[in-house]
Amino acid sequence: MIRKKTFATPFIIWIIAGTLIPLLSIAYYGFTNREGGFTFANIAAMFEHDHLQALGLSLLLALISTVICLLLAFPMAMILKDSKYGKQGFMIFVFILPMWMNFLLRTMAWQVLLERQGVINTLITAVGLPRQELMNTPGAIVLGMVYDFLPFMILPIYNTVSKIDNHLIEAAYDLGASKRKVYTSVIIPLTVPGIVSGITMVFIPALTTFVISNMLGGGKINLIGNIIEQEFTINSNWYLGSGLSLVMMIFIIVSMVLLQKFDKTGGESLI
Amino acid sequence: MKKLGKIYILIIMLFLYLPIFTLMVLSFNEAKSMAVFTRFSFKWYAELFQSRLMMGAIVNTFSIAILAALIATIVGTMAVLGMDAMKPRTENVLLAANNIPMLNADIVTGIALMLFFLMLNIPRGYCTILFSHATFCIPYVILSVRPRLNKNTDRLFEAALDLGASEKYAFRKIVLPELWPGISSGFLLSFTMSVDDFIITYFTRGAGINTISTLIYSEVKIGIRPSLFALSTIIFVVALVVLLIVNARQAKADAAA
Amino acid sequence: MNELIRLENITKSFGDNVVLNGIELTVGENEFVTLLGPSGCGKTTTLRIIGGFEQPDSGVVYFDGKDITGLPANQRNINTVFQNYALFPHMNVGENIAFGLRVSGKSDAYIKDKIKYALKLVNLKGFENRNIDQLSGGQQQRIAMARAIVNEPKVLLLDEPLGALDLKLRQEMQYELVRLKKELGITFIYVTHDQEEALTMSDKVVVMNEGYIQQEGTPEEIYDEPINAFVADFIGDSNIISGKMVDEKVVEINGIKFPCIDGTEQGFPPKRRVDVVIRPEDIEIRPYGKGLFNGTIISKLFIGVHYEMLVQSEDGKIEWLLQNYDQHDVGAKIGMYVRPENIQIMRKPKSEAESAIELDI
Repeated sequence: MIRKKTFATPFIIWIIAGTLIPLLSIAYYGFTNREGGFTFANIAAMFEHDHLQALGLSLLLALISTVICLLLAFPMAMILKDSKYGKQGFMIFVFILPMWMNFLLRTMAWQVLLERQGVINTLITAVGLPRQELMNTPGAIVLGMVYDFLPFMILPIYNTVSKIDNHLIEAAYDLGASKRKVYTSVIIPLTVPGIVSGITMVFIPALTTFVISNMLGGGKINLIGNIIEQEFTINSNWYLGSGLSLVMMIFIIVSMVLLQKFDKTGGESLI
Repeated sequence: MKKLGKIYILIIMLFLYLPIFTLMVLSFNEAKSMAVFTRFSFKWYAELFQSRLMMGAIVNTFSIAILAALIATIVGTMAVLGMDAMKPRTENVLLAANNIPMLNADIVTGIALMLFFLMLNIPRGYCTILFSHATFCIPYVILSVRPRLNKNTDRLFEAALDLGASEKYAFRKIVLPELWPGISSGFLLSFTMSVDDFIITYFTRGAGINTISTLIYSEVKIGIRPSLFALSTIIFVVALVVLLIVNARQAKADAAA
Repeated sequence: MNELIRLENITKSFGDNVVLNGIELTVGENEFVTLLGPSGCGKTTTLRIIGGFEQPDSGVVYFDGKDITGLPANQRNINTVFQNYALFPHMNVGENIAFGLRVSGKSDAYIKDKIKYALKLVNLKGFENRNIDQLSGGQQQRIAMARAIVNEPKVLLLDEPLGALDLKLRQEMQYELVRLKKELGITFIYVTHDQEEALTMSDKVVVMNEGYIQQEGTPEEIYDEPINAFVADFIGDSNIISGKMVDEKVVEINGIKFPCIDGTEQGFPPKRRVDVVIRPEDIEIRPYGKGLFNGTIISKLFIGVHYEMLVQSEDGKIEWLLQNYDQHDVGAKIGMYVRPENIQIMRKPKSEAESAIELDI
């Protein structure tokens, strides 16, 4: 093979300039005050009531959305595995297509449906029921998260499920396993890598989002993403923003480490 | 059971597509209302196309996507070839670093890059967006090209040398065609990731520059205009057509094999 | 026979793993030489060093009298049929065969003729425009041959070319390869772990293990006179038992004296401990008590042409493997006889290290 290590030089420079130094600069700002001195204040700021509440709500909503996505996606993947459409790629196509829509527009669609003067309220009042306050609720945000991220749960799970050799399932039945046993002892364990990457692809963007909460929360519900975003774009307090980001990263890293424990393949099904 | 499955698929599909179709229907509505359809009209499409802001954003989005994908493809492919010559341990360290932007939350990547540009006093604009997009695209190129460079490629390369080819010729005629599917899918993946990105662009753009995503975000914040419904419809149709073509070609390739 | 290739004291290691330990080998012009051994014995590395894909750590490769050790693969007048063929998947059959000719700048007309000729030679007339993935394993194997031989190499290297084929096809291809070699009149160096392939096709078999050449010779020599337990065990089935020379040309095995044809002259003086090889087909069945030794049949298998039987010696210490056209029931007591010329005496490994080398299969 053409063995020249120097070919990787632009890539190494790019990693250093585009990934490592920027991440280090978050760490630098996170431990620095406006006067340029070292401080833990930006980290400790996470324990302020508003921040703690935002972080708690983020974790809660991300968890709920992830669980709902998983509960919706797993049966879907199983149905797709057995259906003849799955193999022709048609059904997969159906789930990939919404991913190609800009996710801001997809989120906006729910705004249009849920607003006070929106589609759903118009339908409700048309049949004589009272107008509902659907927007600007945690429920709306969860709905938006599930809607935006569901395909990211279905596809990796389907990818692993579809690769399960049917002979394994037949062998389990042949050895006398009940349907329930086949699921719990054969199918689900073999699907773990897909489930893990699905959870990663839903939980982390849901935990860190500021767009969905902004659009469907009407700016009234603050998630940790919103707080950090505001520190950077409105308050221009990069020090505090960086400090809070560092704490958030700890949660990301911890959740990934926990997830990787389940996935022995090392996240190969991510793509 | 079969029937239950079909109903389930139907419900999920309605969930996924009903909001999009609502937007499509409303995009042809003459009134600005989000609920009542008054008359069929193309006026929001006209407004969309007359918006210089939107046209500028479209040009930015696609030019950045093409350039970022091109840079990422070249840097990433070269990296794969370079890493192949390294010791496994060095390669693993690089691959771990390569995974960071993929696994990290977009908001962290975005603000990290923003701080980087601020620290170095680099004025944020087109070039900072381009740099940032290439940064998060390179990992995808590497992940799609690297599996193509394996024992089999080594063997084919050796076979070409055995038949008298020079290393350059063997690379061009044998190795590159072998890598090509990985390179092209890396490019396409990068392109779509770049077009789709909002969060990283949001933090690394300057004041005067917009991509489709950032423009949508700022417009939605002011108040939703039906011209955005028109935009949704167009994007949906374009995505549909592109995916149909890709799918058809795939099916054809599968049938040929 | 003129010498074409000579390997002089070739050594090669990958990291701490010593793969070749001073290989000395001479290949004559127009010879069919087979490197035979279990996986990891160094046979493929030897081939790759001849082909120019690996550099030896030390030693010299001579080709036609010239030192070609440092010459890159693309400048050697040697072509290879690779394991799994390494056909270029994005080119059709014709383009694959033409590759080497294009590289050396041959004219289109010449290339076209050559493709035709080569396809005819490998019995795949008219396959020019087929895609590689449309070919069966056997066809791919032939195309790989064709692609190599159009370049008119002086030596063709074949790296387990039949390994991926099923048994019947493999046997057919063995005849085919011998025919091709006759028609082409070039040297073949063939690598395999299949002793049957090695014995049927080769002029010379080189048995390798753990980076050492164990024995080289004609197929008959290798089969009939294995030099040590490893070779005996690797080539065909055999009974390998330790014994002791008790008299001039008499060996004692398990307390029974066998006349043989090896003695002091061959390096086996009386009192020397030795290994003895007796091929299962060389043990003749006699009525009980009428042979040299007796035993009881403890198992019997019909394996096509003949029966294979395990016979336990009367003291229960040794199990003999027998092959015979006649069947005898399990439990039957029989007598056995071995002709002196069918008893192969081998020297015992001197040290544990050496025995590891010889017996680690």
